[in-house]
Parts: sequence; structure tokens; C-alpha cells
Amino acid sequence: MSPRNERSRRPKKENYFDYSLLFIIIFLICFGLVMLYSTSSYNGQIKANGDSAFYLKKQLTATILGLIAMMIIARIDYHFWERFTLLAFLLSHVLSAAVLFVGSDFNGSKRWLKIGPLSFQPSEFAKLAVILFLALVISKVSKKIKQFRTMLLVITLCGPIVALVGVNNLSTAIIILGIAVILIFVASPKYLQFILIGVGGIAFMGIFIYLEQYRAERLKIWLNPEDFDKGYQTLQGLYAIGSGGILGKGLGQSMQKLGFVPEAQNDMIFSIICEELGLFGAVCLILLFMLMIWRFMIIANNAPDLYGALIVVGIMGHIALQVILNIAVVTNSIPNTGITLPFISYGGTSALFLLSEMGLALSVSRQVKLEK
Amino acid sequence: MIKSKTFNRKKIVIVFIAIFLILLALVGRLFYLMIAKSEYYQEKADQLHEREREIKAARGKIIDATGQIVATNKTVCTISVIHNQIKEPEKVISILANELELSEEIVRKRVEKYSSIERVKTNVDKEIGDKIRSYALAGVKVDEDFKRYYPYDTLASKVLGFTGSDNQGIIGLEVKYETYLKGQNGYILTMTDARGVEIEDAAEGRMEPIAGNDLYISLDSNIQKFAEQSAAKVMKAKSAESVSIIVMNPKNGEIMAMVNLPEFNLNDPFTLNTENTGLIDEKTKQTMLNQMWRNRCINDTYEPGSTFKILTAAAGLEEGVVTLEDTFSCPGFKIVEDRRIRCHKIAGHGGETFIQGVMNSCNPVFIEVGLRLGVDNIFKYFNQLGLMTKTGVDLPGEAGTIMHKKENVGLVELATMSFGQSFQITPIQLATTVSSIVNGGTRITPHFGVSVRAYDGELIKNFTYPEKNNVISKETSETMRSILEKVVSEGTGKKAYIPGFRIGGKTATSQTLPRSAKKYISSFIGFAPAEDPQVLALAVIYDPKGIYYGGTIAAPVVQEIFGNILPYLGIEQVYEANEIEEFNIGDITMPNLVGLSKTEASSILKEYDLNVEYLNEGETVTDQFPLANETIRKTSNIILYLE
Repeated sequence: MSPRNERSRRPKKENYFDYSLLFIIIFLICFGLVMLYSTSSYNGQIKANGDSAFYLKKQLTATILGLIAMMIIARIDYHFWERFTLLAFLLSHVLSAAVLFVGSDFNGSKRWLKIGPLSFQPSEFAKLAVILFLALVISKVSKKIKQFRTMLLVITLCGPIVALVGVNNLSTAIIILGIAVILIFVASPKYLQFILIGVGGIAFMGIFIYLEQYRAERLKIWLNPEDFDKGYQTLQGLYAIGSGGILGKGLGQSMQKLGFVPEAQNDMIFSIICEELGLFGAVCLILLFMLMIWRFMIIANNAPDLYGALIVVGIMGHIALQVILNIAVVTNSIPNTGITLPFISYGGTSALFLLSEMGLALSVSRQVKLEK
Repeated sequence: MIKSKTFNRKKIVIVFIAIFLILLALVGRLFYLMIAKSEYYQEKADQLHEREREIKAARGKIIDATGQIVATNKTVCTISVIHNQIKEPEKVISILANELELSEEIVRKRVEKYSSIERVKTNVDKEIGDKIRSYALAGVKVDEDFKRYYPYDTLASKVLGFTGSDNQGIIGLEVKYETYLKGQNGYILTMTDARGVEIEDAAEGRMEPIAGNDLYISLDSNIQKFAEQSAAKVMKAKSAESVSIIVMNPKNGEIMAMVNLPEFNLNDPFTLNTENTGLIDEKTKQTMLNQMWRNRCINDTYEPGSTFKILTAAAGLEEGVVTLEDTFSCPGFKIVEDRRIRCHKIAGHGGETFIQGVMNSCNPVFIEVGLRLGVDNIFKYFNQLGLMTKTGVDLPGEAGTIMHKKENVGLVELATMSFGQSFQITPIQLATTVSSIVNGGTRITPHFGVSVRAYDGELIKNFTYPEKNNVISKETSETMRSILEKVVSEGTGKKAYIPGFRIGGKTATSQTLPRSAKKYISSFIGFAPAEDPQVLALAVIYDPKGIYYGGTIAAPVVQEIFGNILPYLGIEQVYEANEIEEFNIGDITMPNLVGLSKTEASSILKEYDLNVEYLNEGETVTDQFPLANETIRKTSNIILYLE
């Protein structure tokens, strides 16, 4: 996709910067903050002594920090991170292990590490660390990646972190695994073995669900949410989505966010977007994510080396998996599991690391040579 | 640096396409949810958000023949709690328990129950409701509401009936005319959040309640009061178990009064009106309440006794088996088959004409008439007069006639039926049947309901009731009227006689079953004026102590009622010459006695033949009542003040 008509500028050795991606990021962040305020103001009023901007302020702080991080990382050559990759990967293990012992509870899951007034979600950091780590490892062994043994080895490397994260946060573990599979898929010239992995994965999930009673129950709730008490959240989400109609009730007019959809600013935020902005707004948002993913594809395809390309593919996989799983859960297309919607859902750690990832992607885009 | 290769790019494109397709599928899913299923989910969501608050419709009033309101509504409050909004549960519990006079446990149960809204108490007086509102407790709701209110408390309680907690009629006219009186509740539609807090300026639907229609009835509260007073007097004097009185218009069936003593307080219908004898369980209490609410005029049957001879006489005259001049002989009994049936006069009435037989209420005469009629004819007239079917009175729970099966009636049964024994009818049935005999032969439907009007007076419906003409001929009806007038003027019904009024009637004394209990029912049915009856009254005294003859104790009740209501109904007294003389009837002008001495005054009054009562001691008249030059009855009492 490199613009051929700019061949004349060749002598200047001008570097590329993906402004389209930057605009998409900024647009998504702003949209996210508006929706966050809309969905969280009621909960803020109730839980934070009448401060309807409580959640907005926290998210805004994290977003500003994230933007600063993004701009800094975007200016640094991504190869700079190679030397810290192993350290970061190991650190993510340590933090994920720490959270199991000294993590603080929220809605029954230990996912946060409290450091003074700040709380930090190690699993968000783990995703970034895994992307960087796998991109580096796979680019080093890319010649042998088609061997099944190598592939297995690479996946095994991810085993401990997947296990550590998976204890409390199965959905993030699945995303990490998914990112790993996508990275290997892209690096490997083969197809057949991935089809086998896919079939194997589905079989494994099936057994997994049948072995654990509470997961089988989840499956039943998924199929008939109206018959189960635990289907409450899913059902409330569906009410919100369904009552949106084509054009929605208008920004701020959601009824379901008034305590019916629990914690509307978190995982279920997409349902409130549907209710307020309608099918039109929801499809626009999905299109925006598609555009972003398309930009990642362009950057990855034009990256100067496999390492850079794999970093961007990892980020692309990360964003795509979260968007797909989140929307699929909210629309009850798959059984309920807690996954946030990138850039939109409430979550400081998530915003910080997502923007850092964006910084990396932009950094890779800077290395795209306008002329090869 | 390892360059990415062509296959890498191809695979990245494949990943992108896969993502694209999955997102497309999700968009498809969104289309399904937000277009195809939109209405379904929207409806479900609305049900969740909307709270319907009911606004009770005002129940229609009941208005009597004089325009008096005998049943209306009063504003009361309903106290509810909203669990989610309560901030100080302990304070709420103690205040509500205190103000509403409920136990703390009951209030606590309501307050702690997790529901969107929970009623604590209904029908709370407005003052208490206002007081609770003034505490401004979070989560406590005071809604104004209507409660049925009966301005006259006990007046015609068993006729009017009362309403339950949902304002629905429970007994009496309230239940019979439920559909007209009820009205249609309205509602306020509000939106609430998940905690049940109403959202301000959210779209609010409102459906105004439609007030119930007013029922206009023929009951006249003045006549009812007169009748209740007379009934109360005799009930007390004779220590009777209960007294029932029906006053109706025999021409069209409009009931003007229906008394069933003891009455109960309609504003407090769940409290027993008897002396409470210790603790009673719920079931017993309910049975006793049901008993208290019974309308004996309609719900219970009794052996009519001699009043029923009116039917036998009418049937005999109509069928031509007896004439007024036929002579009978009463030795004090009559033998029918193997039975010796006694007359109430053990010595016997001797030789008498049919008219005299009726006036004497002589059993052998009626046995003879009954036997002459035969079983077929008796039943023919029972059917023709409407005795075998219910009267169709517009009150719930009318009891039917308890009669022998025709094929089981032998001569003995025929004989006893002829003077009103061995079967049972309701008082309303007797009053209705006698009405049709004296009104010229039209079987009417007794009723209260006259019309239904909207709250603004607009006529909704005039009730019409079935009538059946010529159940007996006009001639027989006329003959019966004159015979029955004689019963009152010269026969057993003398105690119902009022000079100047032509009153017809018949007495009865019957026994309750089993006869060994020696409990009597004493009754009198009368009508006036005899030549063109405009009012008919039946008084039934259950289980009077001491003298129990209908002619002695029931006839004076009707006499007293007629004495009060005939002038009230605008029926003039017309005196015959012998009446003027016998009862000293006429008016005089009151002379001036003030200033005269006691002896002078008394000599003047002697001339006029007036009764006098002196107040205080002394010799000089200082004041008099009535005042000088007032026109007074010759029978009036004069009061003189002395000094």
C-alpha cells in the first residue's frame, strides 16, 4: 500500500507517520470518554457521594498519562525495547503471581494490585509483555517456526503466564493465548496445523466446559438467559440493546444504565451505546474499530522487519479479540465472560497500556519507508 | 534484521479478513437484536422501568328517595413503604407502629420486605395520614384514597351493605349494583431506576379514573327511621330476638323501608354488635359476622301463619268455592282425616259468616275453604300468585319458598297450608304476594333500585321491573281489601286502627320449628288506604317474650308506623261521623290563660275537655304552651307554668 506516486521525494528519505491511526485513536478516546461519562454518572452519584464525574475524572487521568506514554513510545525506535523484553515478560509473571496473594478483591475476583492510592491490573501489563516477548522470540526463530516442535516450544513459553492470569481472569488468559496463536499463524507459512489447532482448541473447550459444572451452567444461561437468576446481567444488556432501535434514545437517555445493567460503565458499556445511539451508532463504532484494525494491517504489512510486523500483528490481535469477544458477550452471542471494550470501557490500567501499545504501533509506522 | 516475507503479509491479510468477517457477523447479530427483536426487548424494558400507580375511582353514591345521601366516600390514606428508599428503618418502624397502632413486628415485616412497594395499612384517617406525611420520612409514601362512608351508620345496614378493602361491595345493594357503583380506576405511569426511585421529568402517562355512577333508591330514610324506632321499641319491650319490617308501595313494588333489627354499624362492619363473650376464634367470629349481616326479610324463611289466610281467602273467592255470606260453624277444632286441628279459640267461634271467619282468623273456616279448593287449585293459585318463585328483589341471597311437593300433599297438609303452616316463605315474599292481592291483581317485583345517574346527575339508566297482570281478578282484589279493612276496624287487627285512616290488614302468630321450643313469631301485615293502597307494611317480631299474639304486639307496631308515615306520605285523615264522636276529633283555638289563677284556668280548660299538666308550684299562671290563639287538636296536652 505504499504510495508509489511519492517516489520523487525519495532523496529526502522522509519517514512515514500513520496519522490516520492517530486520528482514529483520538476519536475513539474522546468517544469513549463521552460514553463513559454518560454511563457512569448515575453510578457515580450513588457510589461516590453524588459526584457524577467520579469515574470520568479517574479515566481522564489515566487517559492523559496514557497519551503522554503513547507520544513518548511513538518517538522511540521499537528495537529499543528488545533488551527489556525478557525482563518485562518475567516481571509480568511476578506481578501476576503477586496479585494472587496480595491482590484486592472486586466483585469476587482478585485482579488488582494496590500501591498507595493507585490500583493496577497486572493482566493488562501481561498482554503487552506477551506481545513484545512473542514478537521477539518468533522473529528470532522464524526460520524454524514451521516445525511443529518450535511452535510447541513457543506456545509452552506462554504457558506459565497464561496459567497465572487464568486463575482469576480466564478471559484475559484466552486473549493471551489467542494473541500467541495469531502471531505464530502469521509467522508460519503453513496452514494445516492451524486448522488442527483450531479443531483441537474447540474440542478442549468442550471438555473444559463439561468438566466444570459452573461452566456448563453458564452455557445454559447463555441459551436461556430469561430462565436463570444469573442471566440477569445478560438479559439487562439485551433489554438495553433491543430498546435502542435504529437511531437510539439519544445520548444520555438510557434507562438501563440507571442501575438495571450493573456497572454499566464496565464490560456492558456497549449495550448502553446501543440503547442511546441505536444500531446506527453501534455500527459506526464497529466500523471505527475495523478501520483501526485495517490500519494495523497496513502498518504490519509495511513494517521494515518481521519483529515490527509481529508487534503490530500482536496489537491488532489484542484489539480485535477484545472487541469481538466483548460485543459477542454483550449481544449474548457467546456465554458471558468479563471482557472490556478497548478505549471505551472504564479501566485506568487498560487505558494506559492500550495507549502504550498504540505508541508502539505508531513507532513501527514511523519506520515504514515510503519507498522500499 | 529479518524482513517479513510475502507469506507473512498474506497471512496478516487472512487474519484481517477473518476479523472483518466475525465483526460483520456481530453486526448481523445487532441487526437482529435491534430491529427484529427491538419491540420485544423494548416492551420488556418498559415493564421493568414503569411503575403503575393506581388512582382509585370514587365509588358512586347511594341516594334515597328524599335525596339524602346514604352511602358516600370519605378521603382516607394508604400508607406504603418503599424498601430501597428507606434511610432510617428503625425510626420508620417505630413511628409507623405508633401512629398506625400496629405492632412493631408487623411494621418491621413490611419495612424489611424486599419489594418495590409494600402496603403497610389502608383506610387510615386523613389526619393520621397528614401527620405521618409531616414527619417527611424517606421511603414512606402516603397516598390519598377513598373509603366508603355511611352518614347514618346503622340505617338500613343490611339493605345498603358495605364495601371491602378494595372498595368492592360485600353485601346488600353495594354488591348487587357493583357494576354501576364501581367506576374505573385510573393510573399514573412513572419511570423508575433500579432502586425504584421515580425519575423526574421522565415521560409520565396518566389515565384519569372514572367515577362510579350514583344509585338512586326508593328507600326513604325518614320512613326507615320511623320504622327502625318502632321496631326498636317493640324489640326492647318484648325482649325479642329480632324484628323485621318491610314498608313498600304495593302498586309498583318500591320498597320504602326495610328494617332488620339488630342493625350493625356500616362504618365498622367487622365488629360484632353483640356483647362480646370472651375470646372467640376467627371461624366463629366469621360465622357470627355472617349472621349479623343477614337480611332476615330476604335471606330467611318462616311459617307465615294467619297472614297467609289472605291467600287462601283470595283463592277461594276467585275460584268461587266460597262467598262472603257463606256460613260456617266453629266448635274450636276441625277433624281432617284422623287429625283434630285446633282453632286458636279453644271454645270455638260458633256460627259465623266467611267475613266473620276472616275477622276472627278462624282456622276451621280456612281449613274448610282449603279443602273446598283442593290440592290442584291451591297449587294453581300459588303458582299464579308467584309464591313458588323468588320475588326477584334486587338484593343478593334471596331465599326460595320451602313447600311440600304437590304429590305429597294429603288432606292434612292441605288443611295446615290453608292457614299458613307446614311450609315456609320469606317476609318479602309475603309482602309481595299480599301486595298483588290488594293492588288489583298485579304481581309486582319488590325493589330498591330506581335509577342510575352519573355524578353530575345525568341519567344513565331507569330500572324497570317485570310485572304480571291479573294474577287475581280486580273484583276479588276489591273484596279482599274490604274484608281486610274489617279485620282492622272490627276484627283481630284492631290494634292497628287509626281513626281517619282506612287501614286493612291481617295478624299472625306462628311458631318456629321445632314447635317444642315454644318460640313464637308474631307478625302483622297492613296496608293503607284500604280503598286504594299506597303503602303496605309487614312487621315480623321473632321470639317475643311474654304475650306473643300478633294482634297484640305486631299490630301496634304497624299502627305506629302508619301514624307517622301516612301524613308524611300526604295521605289525609278523613273522619267518619262516629269516629269524630268516639275519638273526640277536632280543633279548637287555644284560649289565653296567662295571668289567671290556677282554679280559673282549670275551669276554662274543663269546658274544652283538654288534658293539662302544671309545672312548678304556685297559684298564678305565668306562661302557657301552646300559646294563645294557636289551633290545636282537642286531644292535645296543655302545659301551664305556675308561680
